[in-house]
Amino acid sequence: MSTQTDQPSFVDRYPEEAAVVRRSLLVAFVMLGIGALMGLVQALHRTNVLRIIDSADYYTVLTAHGVFLAIVFTIFFLVGLYQWAVTRSLDRSPVDIRFTHAWATMMTVGSLMAGAAILLGFIDEVPVSADVLFTFYAPLQAHPIFYAGLAIFIVGTWMAGADWFRTWLAWRKDNPDERIPLQTFMVLTTMIMWYVATLGVAVEVLVFLLPWSLGLIDSVDPLLTRTLFWFFGHPVVYFWLMPAYLLWYTVMPKIAGGRLFSDPLARVVFILFVLLSTPVGIHHQYVDPGIAQGFKFIAMTNTMFLLLPSLLTAFTVVASIEHGARQRGGTGLFGWLTALPWRDPAFTGMALAGLLFAAGGFSGMVNAGMNINYLVHNTLWVPGHFHLTVGTAVALTFMAGTYWLWPQLTNREIYSRPIALAQVVMWFGGMALMSNAMHVAGLFGVPRRTAEPQYSFDFPALFGTIGELRLQIAVGGTLLFISTVLFLSNLAFSLGTPKREGFGQTIPPALSGPEDSPAVLDNMKLWAAIAVVLVVLAYALPLGAIISDNGLFGVGIEPYPMLVRPLFDWAGATLAGLAEVIA
Amino acid sequence: MSGTTVPAESNETEAEPSVSAATGQEEIQRELSHEEYDPKGTLALILIYFAILMAMWVFMYFVEFLGNELVVVG
Repeated sequence: MSTQTDQPSFVDRYPEEAAVVRRSLLVAFVMLGIGALMGLVQALHRTNVLRIIDSADYYTVLTAHGVFLAIVFTIFFLVGLYQWAVTRSLDRSPVDIRFTHAWATMMTVGSLMAGAAILLGFIDEVPVSADVLFTFYAPLQAHPIFYAGLAIFIVGTWMAGADWFRTWLAWRKDNPDERIPLQTFMVLTTMIMWYVATLGVAVEVLVFLLPWSLGLIDSVDPLLTRTLFWFFGHPVVYFWLMPAYLLWYTVMPKIAGGRLFSDPLARVVFILFVLLSTPVGIHHQYVDPGIAQGFKFIAMTNTMFLLLPSLLTAFTVVASIEHGARQRGGTGLFGWLTALPWRDPAFTGMALAGLLFAAGGFSGMVNAGMNINYLVHNTLWVPGHFHLTVGTAVALTFMAGTYWLWPQLTNREIYSRPIALAQVVMWFGGMALMSNAMHVAGLFGVPRRTAEPQYSFDFPALFGTIGELRLQIAVGGTLLFISTVLFLSNLAFSLGTPKREGFGQTIPPALSGPEDSPAVLDNMKLWAAIAVVLVVLAYALPLGAIISDNGLFGVGIEPYPMLVRPLFDWAGATLAGLAEVIA
Repeated sequence: MSGTTVPAESNETEAEPSVSAATGQEEIQRELSHEEYDPKGTLALILIYFAILMAMWVFMYFVEFLGNELVVVG
C-alpha cells in the first residue's frame, strides 16, 4: 500500500492515546488467535474429522472459544476503537490519561483471571475450572476466580465509558452549542446501552454466582440467574455490533470514496439500540418453563421492532457506498457495484461482512419468532446464526477495519495488501460454507453444544447428507482458522515494516449533516431514562414472578451426588407419620 | 460528523485516498451533492433483499415449520 496523504496520522497527533488503542487491539488479537484455535478443534472434533482432545474436555474448549472471542476479543477491540473514535472526533485527549490506563489494565487483569480459570480446566491436577460456556448458566459452576475476573473486566468497561463521558463533558464545556460529533454520539449511546444491560450480569455474578461458588450461599435459582444472564446476554450482541456499525457508518463510506448518506438516520439507529436492546432478552428463553407466555410475547414484539435499526442501517450504509461508487464514475442500476474499490481489503472485508449479516438477519428473524423458534431451538442452526453476526459481521469488520486503522496507529504500512485481501475473502468463503451447513443441520435437529451429536435422523437427499454437512463444517472451520492465521501473521509482520509519514486520514462530512436533525436526538439523559422505563416494563413482572415462585435463591439445587438429603427427607416423613399415629 | 480537519459545515469531499487502498486505485472522478444523488441502486438491492427474505420466510414457516413432524428423541 503506497497510498500517501498529507494529513498527520492519529499517532502523530495523539501518541499516548494511540498506544492505548494499540494495546487494546493487541489483547483482542491474541485472544482472537487462541479462540480461533479452539474453534478449529471443535469444528474438527464434533464432525469426527480429527479428534485430538477427549470429549470430556470439549466444554473447556467450547468455553474458551466463546469467552475469548465473544467477550474478550470483541470488547477489547471495542474499547480500542472507541478510544480512537472519541479522541479523533472530539479532537481532544482524555481528561486524565492515567484513568484511561487504569481501565485498560483492569480489563486486562480481569480477562487474565477468567481466561486462566478456563484454561486450567485442561489440567486435571489443578482443582480450578470454568467449563460453564459463554452463557455460564447455573447449575454449571465455575471457580470463583472466573466470576471475579469477569466482574473486574466489566467494571473496567464501566470505567472506560465513564472516561469517554468525561471527555465529552469537558468538550461540551468548550463547545456548548455544537452537536455531538457522530462518532462520539455512537460511543456515548453504546455505553448508555451497556450500563443498562450490564446491571443484569452484575447482579447475577455479584449477588448470586460468585457467593455461590465461594460457598457463602447454598443454592441459586437457575431460572432467575438465566433470566439475569439474558437481560445482559442479548444487548451484549449490540455491544459487539455497534462498533462494527461505527466503522460501517463513518469509515466505510470514506473508503468507498463517498460520504455518509445521512447523519440523522445514523443517530436514530443508535438511539433505537439504546431503547430496544435490553427489553428483549427473554426471547432467548422461549422454551424455559417458569416464564409466562405473555412476557415472552412482549419480548418477541420488542425484538421485531429491533429489526428496524438494522434495516435502516442496511439502507444508509449501502446508500453511502453507492454514493462513493457513483463519485468514482459508477453508473446504472447495478453497474455502480463494479466501481467500488474491491481491491481494498478494508472495503471488501466490511462489504462481505455486511452481506453475510444480511443473511444472519434472516436467521435472526426465525430465532425471534415465538412459534418458529421451536423448530431451531438448541440446534446447530443457532451457532450458524451467530457465526454470521458476531462471527462475521463483527469479527470480519474488525479485521477489515484494522487494515485501515493500524497504519494510522503505528505509522507503518500493512505488510501485504494482497494477503489481506485473500484473508477477508477466505473468511467470507469459510463462513458461508460452515454457517450454511450449520443452519441446514440445525433444521434437521442436529444439536448444538455437544461433542457427540447424535446423527440419527433421516435426511432427504435434496439437501445433501449429514456426511456432506459435516465436511462443509470441517472445511469451513479450517478456512476460518487459516484466515485468522493470515490476519495475525500479516499484522505481526506489519510491526516490522519501516516507519514513514503520510498515513493521516480524514473522514468527510455526511451528505445530510447533523444540522438536518432535531437537537433532541443528542439528549442523552432523555434516551437513557426512556430505556430504563422500557426495561422496567419488560422485566419487573417476569422477575417478580420468578422470585415469588421460587424465592431469591431458588428451591435448592441439589448437590451431586445426592446421598445425604434423601435420607433426611425419608426420616422426616417417617417421624411425621409416627406423630400422626400417636396423636 | 465534525472531523478534526474538516468542519462539519464543509461540503468539500476529501479527495485523499484510503490508506488501505490498492496501488493505482482510481480516484474520485466527480463530486455528487446531496441534491444530485439519488440512491436508486440501493433501493433496487433492498427490494431484492426483501423479496429473498419473504420467500425464505414463507419456505421456513410453511414447509419447514408446519410441514415437519415432531422430532422425538429417545
